[in-house]
Parts: sequence; C-alpha cells; structure tokens
Amino acid sequence: MAGVWILADNHDQILELLAAGRSLADDIGMGLHLLLWDREEKSGEYFSYGADEIILLPALADGQPLSVYIPLIAEEAAREKPEVFLIGGSNRCKELAARIATRLETGLCSECTAFHFNQDLKRLEMERMIYGGVGVQTVASTSKPQMATIPPRTFSPGSPLEGREGKTREITGALETPVRVLEKKAKSKEQVNIREAKVVVCVGRGLENEEDLQLARELAEVLGGEVACTRPIAEELHWLPEETYIGLSGQVIKPHLYIGIGVSGQIQHTVGIRDAKTVIAINRDENAAIFEVADYGIIGDLYEVVPQLTRAIKEKVKS
Amino acid sequence: MPRIITCFKWVVDQADIRVVPGTDELSLDRVGYRISEYDRNCLEEGARLKEQYGGEVVGLTVGIPGAKKSIKDALSRGPEKAYFVTDPSFSNLEPGQTAAIMAAAISSQIEYDLIICGEGSGDLYAQQVGPRLAEMLGIPCAVFVNKIEIKEKEAIVECKVEDGVEVLALPLPALITVLPDINTPRVPGLKDTLAAGKKPVEEITLQDLNKSFDPYLETLNVRATSMERTCEKMDAGSEGIAKMVAVLTKAGVIS
Amino acid sequence: MAEEKFSVIIIGAGPAGSTAAYLLALEGLDVLLIERGESPGCKNMYGGRMYSYALNRIIPGFWEEAPIERRVVTERVSFVTPERTATLNFQDAHWNKEPYHSFILLRAEFDAWLAGKAEEEGAILACGIRVDDVIKEGDRVIGVRAGDDEIFADVVIVADGGNSLITERAGLREKPQPAQVATGVKQIIELSQDLINQRFQIASDEGVANLFVGACTREVPGGGFLYTNKNSISLGLVVNMAAVQQMKYKIGELLEDFKSHPHIAPYIEGGQVMEYSAHLVPEAGYNMMPRLFDAGILVAGDAAGFVINLGYLVRGMDLAIASGEAAAKTILEARAKEDYSRQGLSIYQDHLKNNVVLRDLEMYRQAPHFLENSRLYQTYPHLVTSMLGEMFTVEGTKPEHIMGRALKQVKNAGVGITNLAKDAWKGGRSL
Ligand SMILES: Cc1cc2nc3c(=O)[nH]c(=O)nc-3n(C[C@H](O)[C@H](O)[C@H](O)COP(=O)(O)OP(=O)(O)OC[C@H]3O[C@@H](n4cnc5c(N)ncnc54)[C@H](O)[C@@H]3O)c2cc1C
Ligand SMILES: Cc1cc2nc3c(=O)[nH]c(=O)nc-3n(C[C@H](O)[C@H](O)[C@H](O)COP(=O)(O)OP(=O)(O)OC[C@H]3O[C@@H](n4cnc5c(N)ncnc54)[C@H](O)[C@@H]3O)c2cc1C
Ligand SMILES: Nc1ncnc2c1ncn2[C@@H]1O[C@H](COP(=O)(O)O)[C@@H](O)[C@H]1O
Repeated sequence: MAGVWILADNHDQILELLAAGRSLADDIGMGLHLLLWDREEKSGEYFSYGADEIILLPALADGQPLSVYIPLIAEEAAREKPEVFLIGGSNRCKELAARIATRLETGLCSECTAFHFNQDLKRLEMERMIYGGVGVQTVASTSKPQMATIPPRTFSPGSPLEGREGKTREITGALETPVRVLEKKAKSKEQVNIREAKVVVCVGRGLENEEDLQLARELAEVLGGEVACTRPIAEELHWLPEETYIGLSGQVIKPHLYIGIGVSGQIQHTVGIRDAKTVIAINRDENAAIFEVADYGIIGDLYEVVPQLTRAIKEKVKS
Repeated sequence: MPRIITCFKWVVDQADIRVVPGTDELSLDRVGYRISEYDRNCLEEGARLKEQYGGEVVGLTVGIPGAKKSIKDALSRGPEKAYFVTDPSFSNLEPGQTAAIMAAAISSQIEYDLIICGEGSGDLYAQQVGPRLAEMLGIPCAVFVNKIEIKEKEAIVECKVEDGVEVLALPLPALITVLPDINTPRVPGLKDTLAAGKKPVEEITLQDLNKSFDPYLETLNVRATSMERTCEKMDAGSEGIAKMVAVLTKAGVIS
Repeated sequence: MAEEKFSVIIIGAGPAGSTAAYLLALEGLDVLLIERGESPGCKNMYGGRMYSYALNRIIPGFWEEAPIERRVVTERVSFVTPERTATLNFQDAHWNKEPYHSFILLRAEFDAWLAGKAEEEGAILACGIRVDDVIKEGDRVIGVRAGDDEIFADVVIVADGGNSLITERAGLREKPQPAQVATGVKQIIELSQDLINQRFQIASDEGVANLFVGACTREVPGGGFLYTNKNSISLGLVVNMAAVQQMKYKIGELLEDFKSHPHIAPYIEGGQVMEYSAHLVPEAGYNMMPRLFDAGILVAGDAAGFVINLGYLVRGMDLAIASGEAAAKTILEARAKEDYSRQGLSIYQDHLKNNVVLRDLEMYRQAPHFLENSRLYQTYPHLVTSMLGEMFTVEGTKPEHIMGRALKQVKNAGVGITNLAKDAWKGGRSL
C-alpha cells in the first residue's frame, strides 16, 4: 500500500509532521499515514490536518516503555512497505527510529532539517548538519523506507481543513519487553519561551556563580528580552531550564538581537543563532570564536561591561 | 561484577575545518582528530562503574588505521584493554555500518554485561549507533541517560525525556547511551598515560569479521554553512559602551 | 604498580626535546618524552623557516619523509615606511639543491613527525601532561612531578621552550626581564597554492622568506616576517616586550596595520585567516642563558636561551635540534661512566661548542644590544626608502647627484654621519 508514514510522541510534533508529510505525500502521489497509540479523541483533528489513515497501535500496559512498539511497527512497515517514514525528534522517538531502521535494514537521516522530493530520481533528498554545524550534508537513502527523524519545530503546523476525513485501522500484536518503567518524574514546565523572544541575552560558562545570572536578567529586562544559555549552563550546572539552551542539541532561535556574555562561541552553540538579525558578544578573550560570528563585540570582563551597559541603556531609555 | 564495553569514536576536530575561500566547500586538509567529546563521558562512566561495582572495562572503537592514535588516550581514561576494529575502508562510515561492524566484532569475541555509548558523536551526531547496536545484538537499551546504578542483574537508569525523567530497569546485558552531564571526565595524569601504553590492544580486521558492511545512505553533497557578520570589535570602556548603545538603538531594541 | 623509573625524562616535545629523545631511544635507553599539548607542536608557534643542516646531521635526507611546506629559494629583506618599501632580493642556486639550505614548515605537523620518530625508536611519548616541577634529592634532580604523579629518572632534560618555567623552578635561572624577551604574533592566511605560486613567482615546492624592518612594527624594535607555505602564508611580527608594554597599542593592532601595508596587502588579498597565535621569543641570546646543566639535569633549546634573533632572521629550530643532539651525546657519555653529577654532565658545554650552538651564539652575542638601537627601526627604514624614493621618482623637478641626495637624506633623517658610521660599524661586527 506504500505511502508516507509519520510518528511522533507529542501533539505539536504530530501537527508539524502532518503538514510536512502531507505535502510530501502529494508530491509522491501517495497517502499519508499516522501511527498513533493515544486513544484520546484527536483522530478527527488529525484527519483535518491531512492524515489519510491512522494506524492505531495497541495501548501500552502499565510500566511499558514506548520502545515496546518497535517490533510491531517494524513488522507492519515490512508488510506495508512505506515509501517514506518520518519520525519526530524527541529523545524516545530517536531511539525508536534507529531501532526500527535497523530492523528494516534501511538508512536513517537523523535530525533532518529540510528535505525535498526529487521527482526525476523519485527519491527524498534530506539535509542534516554535520561537524557540529560547520557543514550541511545532503543524503538520500538507497533503501526503503526512506527514513528521517525531524527535530521539533522544524516545520510549522498547517491549517485544518474542515470536513476532511480518513479511516482508522487498528493493528494488534503482543507487546513484550524486558524493560520496565519504574517511575516517571514530570518536570515543572517553566514558562520561558526564548524562541519567541525578540531579544535574547545568553549566558555561558564565563559566569562564575549562579547568583550572577542577575546581571543577565537585568540586562534582559532593560531590553525587554529573555535570558538563555549555553548547554553546560543548563545541563551541567542546571542554573537554567533545559529549554533555554541554544544550539545544535538545544533551541534554534531567530531573535532581532542576541547578546552572548561569557560565551566562547563553539560552533555547536552558534548554529542556534545563525538567523539572529544582530549578534553581540561580550568576552574577555579577544580570540574567542564568538567574535567571528558576532556583528559587534566588546572585549572585556563581563562583570564590568554588563553592569555598565545595563546602566547606559537605562539612561538612554530615560532620556 | 559487570563486564563493560565503552565505545569511543575518533573524530575530526571541527574547529580545524575550513571553508575553501570563495566557495561553500569544506576543507579537511589540515584537521586534527581527537576522541569525540561526549565519548569521554562514556569512558568515564565505565571507569566510574568499575570503581563502584568492580568487574572489568574494555574500550571499543571502529575506524581507519590512523584512528589507532586515539587508543592510548582512551586507555588512559580507564579501560583495561582496547579493541580496535579497523580497515582502510572505514573512513566515512554511516551509523548503520558502524553499528553492524561493532555488533560483528562484539559477537565474535567480546563478552559483556553492559555496553555504554556516548549521546552522539562529534562529527555525525547521529545518535544512532547505540540503539542500532542494541537492536543488532538483541539486547535492551536506554538512551539519553544521566544516571546509572547496577542492582544484581539489572541496570536502573534515569533517562532524560522532554517532559521530565523516566526511570527504567533493564535486565543485563544491555546498552546505555549517556548524556554529557552524567559525570565530569577525569583528566588523565602522567601515570595514567604511562599505564595506558602498557595495556593490551586487540586489533580486529575486516577479514577477521568476514562480512561486508554496505551503506544505506548516499551522501549527495556537503556544503559549508556560513554566517556573514560584521565582526566589529571594541574595547570595554565608556567609548565601547556608548557605541554599543548606539548599535542597540539602531537595531530598534531600545528607543 | 612499581615505581616507574626511566633512564631519561625529557620535558617538552619541541624540536630540542624530540631530537634528544630520538637519539637516546635509538641507543636503546628508556626515554620518557612529556608534552603539555594535546599533540606535539599543536601549540607551538614560530616564524616559518628551519635551517636544515642540524637535522640533516641526525636524519640525513629528512626532507624525503618530513612534512615540509616549501624549500626557501628566495630570501628578501624589506625596509618599510608607511608608503615605501625597499627590498633586497637574494637567491643562491645552491639553496635549490640537496642538501637544501632551509625549509618552510608548519610546526603542528613537523613537531608531531619528529616526536613520532622518537616514538618509533621506542621512546614513550606522554601528551596532554604538564610537568610542574623537577624532584630533587639534595642538589640532584631525580625526576619530575606532574600533578600528583612523580616519575623518576637518572637524568632530566628540560626542553620546555622559551618561557621555561621548569628552569626557573629548578633554580637554574631568574625570571627574564621584559627587555630580554620579545613577543611574536602570527597569522596563517589561507590562499590557494596556484595563487601563491603566481604572486611570488615560484614553483610549487619553492618558497620565499621575506623579513621586514621599519613601519611594520610602528617603529618599535622588532621586525616582520612573511613565509610562503604550500597553501597559506605565515605573516607575523616579533616585537620587544619592554617596548610593547610601553606603547599604547596592542600587538594585534600592529599586525592588522602590517597586513594593510601597501606592500603586504596584495600578497594576502582574498586570503582567510586560519590561525592566530602569539608566543615569547627569548631575545637576549647568549646573555640570558641559564645554567645549562647541573646534577641530573640538562637544559636544551629555547629553554636554554639558544635563539639568535638578528632582526632580519630568527634562528631557533636548528639550535634547538643541535642542542638536543648535544644533550643526547652528553647523556650517553655520562651513562657509560654512570656519572650524572654536575661534573659528569659538564661535557655538555663542549658538545654545544663543537656543534655550532655555542659558537654561533657567542659570535652574535652583541646582536641583542645592537638591535635595541631605535635608529634601526625608526630612522634607517626612512633613510633607505626616501633615498631610493628620490632616486626613482621623476616628477620633472631638478635632478641631483646621488651622493648629494644621500647626504641630504641623512641630514633630514637627523641621524648625523657619525651615528650612521657608528651603527654601520657596530652592525657589521655584531651581525
Ligand atoms: C555533539 C555536541 C553537541 C553540542 N550541543 C551544544 C548545544 O546545543 N548548545 C551549546 O551551547 N553547546 C553545545 N555543545 C557544547 C559546545 O561545544 C561548547 O562546549 C559549549 O557551547 C561551551 O559553552 P560556554 O561558551 O558557556 O563555555 P566555555 O567554552 O567554557 O566559554 C566560556 C567563555 O567565557 C569567557 N569568560 C570567562 N570569564 C569571563 C569574564 N569574566 N568576562 C567575560 N568573558 C569571560 C571565556 O573567555 C570563554 O570564552 C555541544 C557539544 C557537542 C560535542
Ligand atoms: C615569533 C617567532 C618566530 C620564530 N621564527 C623562527 C624561524 O623562522 N626559524 C627558526 O628556526 N626559529 C624561529 N623561532 C624560534 C623557534 O620557534 C624556537 O627556537 C624553537 O621552537 C625552539 O625549540 P624548543 O624545542 O627548544 O622549544 P619549543 O619549540 O618551544 O618546544 C617546547 C615544548 O615544550 C612543551 N612544554 C612547555 N612547558 C611544558 C611543561 N611544563 N611540561 C611539558 N611540556 C611543556 C611545549 O608545549 C612545547 O611543545 C621563532 C620563534 C618565535 C616566537
Ligand atoms: N566508529 C565508532 N567506534 C566506536 N564507537 C562509536 C563509533 N561511532 C559511534 N560510536 C559510539 O556511538 C555513539 C553515537 O554515535 P553516532 O550515532 O555517530 O552519533 C558515540 O558517542 C560512540 O559512543
């Protein structure tokens, strides 16, 4: 029955993949199939967003991890032979994708940031970053399905089409895995949205203490912006939530203004600010890589520069 | 007492990659190589688990003959022995091939209870080799882990997921990919380096594996990404600050 | 593990250390070569050219296997003022024949290669390890300390380069004065091989060494250099530290100025900076040497102050290699007598004399003093260039005889004939 298959473990990404998958399915001239295990009444919505078919998986038993679906999905795909299989880039889904691809003996383009269907060669050409973001590699799969994982927010969700319908098909099979989920600790969702912010003040390891975040907060405040950070600040020091780190494995942002303070500017970080309109850097090392990707840089100690700058902006705003 | 395999990859130092002037091609002519950054966490976790639970730790890497240079460094970070699976054709392996080669090498001669991989490799960052390897070996796997405990014949791990943490119990043998915040890699000292030189290195060649490993992906091209910026530097001091305020005003973020 | 003991520990895998390690390992000694960098040469910086005689003595025909950029076939010295340049161009057909006179090479590759040679012969290379100090028993050095680790040896060679902390810690020298050291800054600017061949009129394996005096350092004591690599150009400045501390500009600014000089800019146009580095050069040569040996310890290369900086050329690599050789010979002899005392190692001095190092350093011992003369950087470049400027500029004004012009220039430059003569005499003697 071939077709374009999509799978994701959260609603927002399902919508994004439906949008991307729909236009791809039209290009190829095939149907769009959504794999789903969630039994809430969202099917109608997904049809209106472009799904032709929902393939409904059996419900998870208590303590079963998502990876329990791998054999079932792989078997179904081996039978149905989808042309393309796009999977959301959440942590759990990345594991699923790699293991399904292994079972299907096919390639997988991880963290695909763009693709297009080459009509002449009838193949999907997929782009992804390599060397930490120094390069973009375009790959095509020589085997089917042509698989990719898509990072969140790569595509915007489409708009629903009232009255659009599809059918649902349930697949069954035993769900067995030796792995048990012992506990799920939910994280309190903090309301920071650095992706929407016009101004982002980003702190790096140049900051000596957690309290010094205040310097960044004050600067962000006078500019009406948000505070973001580099990966080590969020993941090693845990000073700021994980949603606020920018880069290859974090957020990609497009603000009007990015100010990096005490950020060295390694490529894995700066790929996340490529589309910032203006980039400013404050670093005491005049050879720091961040200056090469900044429009304006101040060479100096952030503990002197940032308070001065904040004060100067305040005065300017007053006058 | 667990027998642990820690996997590390020898990758180009991306800071040495240049854009060929006037083009969007990358030049890898003068690049240095090193152990993939996050695989240091992987090696460290092996060493740490051994300190805690005993057992033994070996290192495993797949690469071209030149990757041999990584082995002493890796051995100075903990493993007692290294397995080096090598062939001149192993230069641009994709994750599917790498995992298949590792699976073949492991099945042919390495006993283990636990395999640890990094979150993702410094060059490809595909985050695939770990789960693919687990699938090929038919063992359970947990990814993006930032805490490992071993209890009897099980590993209890904390996986980072988008909405929090999932605690999983995996019966051994199993494979785990670890996040960089799971530990802080030690800096090997002189004695570690000297000891590393004396540890055994087992070379496994493509012939030994007696199999072929074909790619699934074709690379159509690699382009440089670039960021055109003004790159104007100023000194700290009132002049620089005043100039910056002017820049901010012009950018329309203050009025 | 039992206490580790080596015959020889060498601190620093630069040319001095690696040469010594190679020769000692070749003789079957247990050698430990310790390098602070992730790999030998990764942080090492120099101008760009090595005179080949010293290494050719140790590894004959080394250029067949060593990573070499180009061999120098053209030597240039340029006097520069902001607008003018006068260049002396020198070629010697012998330089283009074996044994080649000198090579342009990049340190990251060359140092790694040389250390690799030592490793091949059985020396143990430990990279990424910084030695903190030597360990002494009484007056005698018996090993080294790196972090928490102590490793012992019969004898230690200190080859940790120009900013040698180890010689200071071991009490072999005082911290050098700013006037005794210079700072070098350098950029490697990438250009295609064809473009370089074309711009410098050279074949692919031929290179140009160009040294500069005058406005390139905003008239501060020092000089500029340019070397053609295979597909890049090394461009840099060497400036006296004391002078840098006095002036208000940053040395990086000087380099940017230099790059935009009308003589330089066309050579590097379109090039992309691949690398920027800065490093100390011991300047005072013979006059700032530490004690070169003591019980259980020898000092080689830059750590021993074995650099000849003549303003128009910097020699260090060859002396480093030759001194590494002398250190190795000394140790082999001391070992035969099992005498690593101060007395036992004192033959080092003789070996150094016999193999060029001390001889040449002594010969140029006045050079650093001579080179401090500010007229060299301020007045003479003006003098030479404006003299030539007047000679060659034809604008329809009344011509004048060369001698008359020259005297006028000397007068305008405010040097005075006596000073000129004095400087010429001194220069002739010290260089
Ligand atoms: C596969 C992979 C993926 C990665 N993904 C990401 C990612 O998504 N996002 C990310 O951010 N990183 C990522 N990294 C890590 C990245 O490579 C860098 O290690 C990280 O970005 C460095 O963070 P930093 O700039 O805060 O710290 P550092 O590199 O330690 O830099 C600190 C800087 O502060 C300056 N400084 C110190 N004190 C002062 C002072 N008083 N005043 C002014 N300046 C000062 C220093 O000069 C230095 O430049 C990734 C790495 C890998 C291998
Ligand atoms: C700007 C500039 C231009 C120059 N141009 C030229 C030129 O064109 N031609 C020429 O022949 N010479 C030139 N020189 C001089 C030349 O670079 C040196 O003379 C030469 O490198 C000396 O070799 P070395 O082995 O003594 O020391 P180095 O090459 O400095 O090597 C010392 C090694 O020791 C390591 N080290 C230092 N401290 C420790 C420690 N505590 N523990 C472990 N390892 C340590 C260092 O990382 C380094 O690898 C120039 C120098 C400069 C700065
Ligand atoms: N060539 C290799 N040799 C050994 N381990 C590897 C190799 N490639 C990848 N790995 C391991 O797999 C992890 C993920 O790699 P990747 O899928 O390329 O992102 C790395 O962090 C390593 O632990």
